[in-house]
Amino acid sequence: MSTIAAPSWITHWRQRLWRLSPTDRDPVVLRHSRIYILPTRRGTAVIATLAIMLLTSMNYALSLGFALTFLCAGMVAAALLAAFRNLAGIAASPLVGGEAFAGSQLEFTISLSSAARARKGIEIAPRDGPAVEAELPAAATRPLRLYVEARQRGRVPLGRLTLSSNYPLGLWRAWAYVHFPLTGIVYPAPEASPPPLPAGHQGSDARRSILTSDAELAGLRDYQRGDAQNRIAWKAVARGAGWYTKLFEGAGGSGAIDLDWEELPPGMDAEQRLSRLAAWILAAERETRAFSLRLPGAALAQGQGAGHRRTALVALALYPNAAG
Amino acid sequence: MQKSARLPLTRAQTAWLAALLLSAQLPLWMSVLDWVALVGTGLVILRLLPPVRRLGSTRLRALLLPALALVAALGIRAQFGYFLARDPCVEFLYLLIGIKFLEARDTRDGSLLVCLALFLAVTQFFYTQSLLAALLALPVVIALGGTLASLRAGAAAHADWRAQLAEPVRLTLQGIPIAIVLFILFPRLAGPLWGTATDTAARTGLSERMAPGSISELSLSDAVAFRVDFIGPPPSPRDRYWRGPVLSRFDGREWSALSHLKLGSFARRESAPIDYTVTLEAHGKLWLFALEYPLALPHAPTDEATLGAPVNDIALLTYDQQLLARNMVMQSVRYTVRSASRAKVTAVEGDVADNIGLPNNNQRSALFARELRSRVDSDRAYIDAVLAWFHGDPFVYTLTPPLLDRDPVDAFLFDTKRGFCEHYAGAFVTLLRAAGIPARVVTGYQGGEMSLDADYMIVRQSDAHAWAEALLDGRWQRFDPTAAVAPSRIERGLGAALPAGEPVPYLARMEMTWLKSLRLHWDAVSYQWQRGVVGFDVRRQRDLLREFGFDNPRPVQLAAAIAGVVLAWTALVLGFSRLRASQVDPELALWGRACRRLARAGLARRPDEGPIDFADRAATRWPQCSVALLRIGELYARLRYGPEREQRAALLVRLRVSVDSLPSVRKLRAQS
Repeated sequence: MSTIAAPSWITHWRQRLWRLSPTDRDPVVLRHSRIYILPTRRGTAVIATLAIMLLTSMNYALSLGFALTFLCAGMVAAALLAAFRNLAGIAASPLVGGEAFAGSQLEFTISLSSAARARKGIEIAPRDGPAVEAELPAAATRPLRLYVEARQRGRVPLGRLTLSSNYPLGLWRAWAYVHFPLTGIVYPAPEASPPPLPAGHQGSDARRSILTSDAELAGLRDYQRGDAQNRIAWKAVARGAGWYTKLFEGAGGSGAIDLDWEELPPGMDAEQRLSRLAAWILAAERETRAFSLRLPGAALAQGQGAGHRRTALVALALYPNAAG
Repeated sequence: MQKSARLPLTRAQTAWLAALLLSAQLPLWMSVLDWVALVGTGLVILRLLPPVRRLGSTRLRALLLPALALVAALGIRAQFGYFLARDPCVEFLYLLIGIKFLEARDTRDGSLLVCLALFLAVTQFFYTQSLLAALLALPVVIALGGTLASLRAGAAAHADWRAQLAEPVRLTLQGIPIAIVLFILFPRLAGPLWGTATDTAARTGLSERMAPGSISELSLSDAVAFRVDFIGPPPSPRDRYWRGPVLSRFDGREWSALSHLKLGSFARRESAPIDYTVTLEAHGKLWLFALEYPLALPHAPTDEATLGAPVNDIALLTYDQQLLARNMVMQSVRYTVRSASRAKVTAVEGDVADNIGLPNNNQRSALFARELRSRVDSDRAYIDAVLAWFHGDPFVYTLTPPLLDRDPVDAFLFDTKRGFCEHYAGAFVTLLRAAGIPARVVTGYQGGEMSLDADYMIVRQSDAHAWAEALLDGRWQRFDPTAAVAPSRIERGLGAALPAGEPVPYLARMEMTWLKSLRLHWDAVSYQWQRGVVGFDVRRQRDLLREFGFDNPRPVQLAAAIAGVVLAWTALVLGFSRLRASQVDPELALWGRACRRLARAGLARRPDEGPIDFADRAATRWPQCSVALLRIGELYARLRYGPEREQRAALLVRLRVSVDSLPSVRKLRAQS
């Protein structure tokens, strides 16, 4: 690997040709400088056939063969211009980068404006997600949802988009790259079966162990791997009724809880801790319990509700990586 | 390159493909073998039937294509005796399309079928390039566009096939200028790129052999042999002898041309020269037909190549006064010749020896000839006596003479006495040779019909004729024994000369006037077609370019010209769409007009100012027209940003009225 930086004109042209860095301003209007056109496989086959027809007409001096070949060639050429026109003039703007848990799909919203002409069969493909097909009537602006694989927690860019179309005859594929600096936030994936929430505050008292004498059995749920042994409904197991876990509702269970990075078992690494905390945040939200969150270098005061939950999850998502 | 997904063919796509394949096969229907036409087209139709539609998913499919293709290839091989030539390959392609369609399953099969059909469509022009053939090729282009659009759209295709068709038709129309420019400017070749196999498709026309019945068979055809543009007035009907193959050899039944070829010299004219241009249809032989007697070698037509020197290398003159092309006439040719009705054709060495021999049969004729010759004192008197005998005896001119087997001349002259021109010419020359007069049969065409506007002459295969030449007094002289039997054949054509009830071609009949005039109209159109489009070859291309000021353009220049036109066309098509695009937003145009007027009156809209705010500001400045100003702002905002799509027209009218009601710039300035 060479460490010498490429000359500026190379980077300029690389960016201009492939739009590898997210520097497109809002909105991007597709023009000839951005639109590429190449024949599709079908287009290549048809052009090759026209070439053979031309050779045949030349060899046998078939005037009408020339006429037919050129008539078809004229249509193919007109299709090329139509493919260009279908993309040219489209204005794309970034709207919203969404938020999602790792392992699911992150939603982005952009908007497309058709300008004066109706647009048909426009395909918008993020680099890391499924392509979306769009049709736009004339003079219309439509929001468009795109999905990108949320692989890792953190800020995930939408990445470079490819707007393409093989309208009208499928002989030519016109495409353009658009790279907005639009990012979404990916929360850590919540742990699949987290231990129950830490005990809430009993007044201003210190926290208590999970199993307390005054806790009352609230119900049973299906056993999940990782449930504490002393919470398994052994009687049910003995009856052969299956594996259940006992749910308790302590008197102090509805109280606020502290979710603290430092309180987690020492053997867990950073990502596991984040996963557990994410799962607990969701659980707390489900049980409508207020919680506070403390991370190394960040703390969130006690609170409740969707906004609070989101702030907490974002804090987890943006927790600095161990590596950097 | 984009990887096209292999999606199963939808029903609409299958229907479009069928339309494309059938439109490519249809023009070839008459040209391919009967069973190929039936099976090839039958397979396409079969695929549309419900039980076969499901075939695509069965295991059978993998075997179907190779097995059927092999059978087809073997069948065609058996019919032709060979396979690797043009015609068998066309037949095979015709069948292959049906077979492939039968097992077509996904869009990639669709792509392949599109390409095969496209190529098949061009092969029809091997067989005919008539105006009709051109018209029959047009549906192929439209079906091609529809099929491609349908293959692209897939399941999202428009349900209505007519709507699906609109875009391809538009693209075809847009492409026409490109097609015309390429047709004119694309460099044409003078000769083939690779050896065209001599697919001597049976073409109608004279041959180098003449047996009883061969010309009468030809006379049943209405096909055009050639057309003639006379530079002066056309010759009278009796002088319209178009000289073709000269037959000197006789085997007792069949006349044939001499196998050796000697160059000759032109006749000396004894009447006014006639200049004319012949457009000869392809006949696959060497003869270039000319009026008797040609005075010079043919050259490129003067109306096309003003600088064209006589093209001596395209033709030659044999010693028996035939004009021969250097290469077989495989496509229609045009040439200008000079002839004279009367000219002196002197005998050359070998003429007597070549034109005196007779085989041993037909002894009764030989006896008759010797007996008749002994009764007169000169060769000329003998010839007159023979012609008088033809005229006086009950000879019948008929297209359907009885069959003659051994000694055909004897049987014709003394038993049946019914024959067509080849019988009379052959018997006449036999009688002359038996009397010691060198004579030969000349075949060609006699007659010709003027076109509707009388600006060119049409000579048809039904004008095919045979006459005789005798060597008298050291020069060859023409005698037409048919004229002695049926004088009206020479003056008024075949239809007038034959008794009623004979199977004359329709057009040779005089009475079918309306049909005749219809056919003549059609001929006028197809003659122009033949000259202007089909006959557009390397020479005509050069002539046309010269008219535009390009003398002998190099291919680079042609390519540059094509590129220039393509650029201009691109700009035009893209510009046109921009022009139309600007018409999409009439409210913008009206709003712009109002803003410009207010700006010139001293109140410019700030860039961040919305239409309603600006209208407010303008209304406070010009309270007199505040109603109109406020309405303009409100209407524009509603049209531009409001949801009311269906009321657009009404709102636009109101906006237009309001903008029109604004005072002029001068008045606004005065009022503020």
